[in-house]
Amino acid sequence: MVEAKYLSMKYEKGGHYALENISFHIDRGEFVFIVGSSGAGKSTILKLIIREVKPTDGVLKIFGRDVARLPRHRLPYLRRNIGMVFQDFRLMEERTAYDNVAFAMVVTGSSRREIRKRVPHVLGLVGLHDKAKTRVRDLSGGELQRVGLARAIVNRPAMIIADEPTGNLDPGTTLDIMNLLRSINLRGTTVLVATHNREIVDRFKKRVLYLENGKLIGDEQKGIYAHVH
Amino acid sequence: MFISGFFYIIGETFKGLYRNRWMCFTSTGVVVVTLFMLGIFMLVNLNLGHITDTVKEQVEIVVYIDENADQETLDELGQKLSSHSDIESVNYVSSEEHMARLHRQLGGMLEGYDAEMDNPLLASYEIRTIVPESVIDLAEEFETYPGVSTVFYGQGYVESLFTVTGVIQMVGLALMAGLSITAVFLISHTIKLTVMMREREISIMKYVGATNWFIRWPFILEGLIMGFTGAVLPLIGLYYLYQYSVEWVVANNLAFLTLLPVQIVLIELATYLVPLGTGLGILGSTFSMGRFLRV
Repeated sequence: MVEAKYLSMKYEKGGHYALENISFHIDRGEFVFIVGSSGAGKSTILKLIIREVKPTDGVLKIFGRDVARLPRHRLPYLRRNIGMVFQDFRLMEERTAYDNVAFAMVVTGSSRREIRKRVPHVLGLVGLHDKAKTRVRDLSGGELQRVGLARAIVNRPAMIIADEPTGNLDPGTTLDIMNLLRSINLRGTTVLVATHNREIVDRFKKRVLYLENGKLIGDEQKGIYAHVH
Repeated sequence: MFISGFFYIIGETFKGLYRNRWMCFTSTGVVVVTLFMLGIFMLVNLNLGHITDTVKEQVEIVVYIDENADQETLDELGQKLSSHSDIESVNYVSSEEHMARLHRQLGGMLEGYDAEMDNPLLASYEIRTIVPESVIDLAEEFETYPGVSTVFYGQGYVESLFTVTGVIQMVGLALMAGLSITAVFLISHTIKLTVMMREREISIMKYVGATNWFIRWPFILEGLIMGFTGAVLPLIGLYYLYQYSVEWVVANNLAFLTLLPVQIVLIELATYLVPLGTGLGILGSTFSMGRFLRV
């Protein structure tokens, strides 16, 4: 599903490597943590996956296709297959929870009927059935991330990528969100979580890719955060 | 997809205008004020042009005929003038007609003068040219024609008139160009600001897989509505302002101020301001989105 070969990334010519010569392979249905300190290159991997940036060297294949060679007009179709969850939620604050989730379906061309059926269902899955008509700006941090998750899964993407999804949440809410991600993964969706939250990595015991200064220094099944050092 | 997408875009356009109503109100306000200023200047400029044209149309060339010329030469001269491509109209005035005009002008002062017996006035052709500015060159040309005694076109006075009207037109054009550029700059930057305020919204659309056109359309339509409204409102204001001005000129008997009719002016303003406002609204939105869509 994700295949990186000798992948390198520099944001500026002559600058330092944000990622340097890394290779890994993620299969369908896997749950993978990408861990490392700030600036290790976690977010760069996610940006490369959604082709927000192009690699400087190497090849990154998503769903079997080299993303660097994907024409610009095909990018929306790649992104529709990848649900994204952000640390800062990136929701449209003036709109309701329902509208934020429905929006992801509207852009993919779903019919009104489909949207009316699917959105309440997904909001129910993340425990926000009663908040559908609430404006996003009136929701709590945990609720915001639930809306973000609902938006990410509403189109049944093959993969969810989450960039520090619990970075702005308290420990209790963090656990709720991670459990939701695990249940999404159990339904067959590949999940990639970039994080530097030691507790959740250690608690969930999933595959861990360890990054340090742009280099992949470890790749362990059922890994724990302590192995970074 | 097409139907739900179409309704979405239309719905989003009006929702976007409502959600960002203060910013849209400000942008439209900028368009209204800028185009109103431009419109006032256009009104002044159009009427100045009309007044100078009216004055220039009075300019004519008078070709006095040599009294010793034979009939054949005179016929040839008449033929040549009336078939000249730069001439709009030729009017033959006999020496008797000249004398009659003089009588009319001077009234009783020529009483007792026997015009039949002793008429010193030369017959002439009164010529209106197609382009008023060509009188000087044409007058020179006519002087060389056989059968011509002298040519008169208001030498000295006409040159000054053309210089003054030329300067008025040039200054008018330069100021209008300047104001138009200012309008383009002001309006496109205000619209750009409206789009920039919604950068976050655009980036979210990109992340959930919206195509660029899907994102663009509501913004383009918003730009169109703001630009169009911003052009139509000043037009309504200018219409009432100009109508009042025309009525005021008539009421005060200012006959020398020959203002253009309201309908003609309004059409002229609408054909300039509406495409300008609408076009700037659309282009302002489209171009200012460019860099956000590259994500």
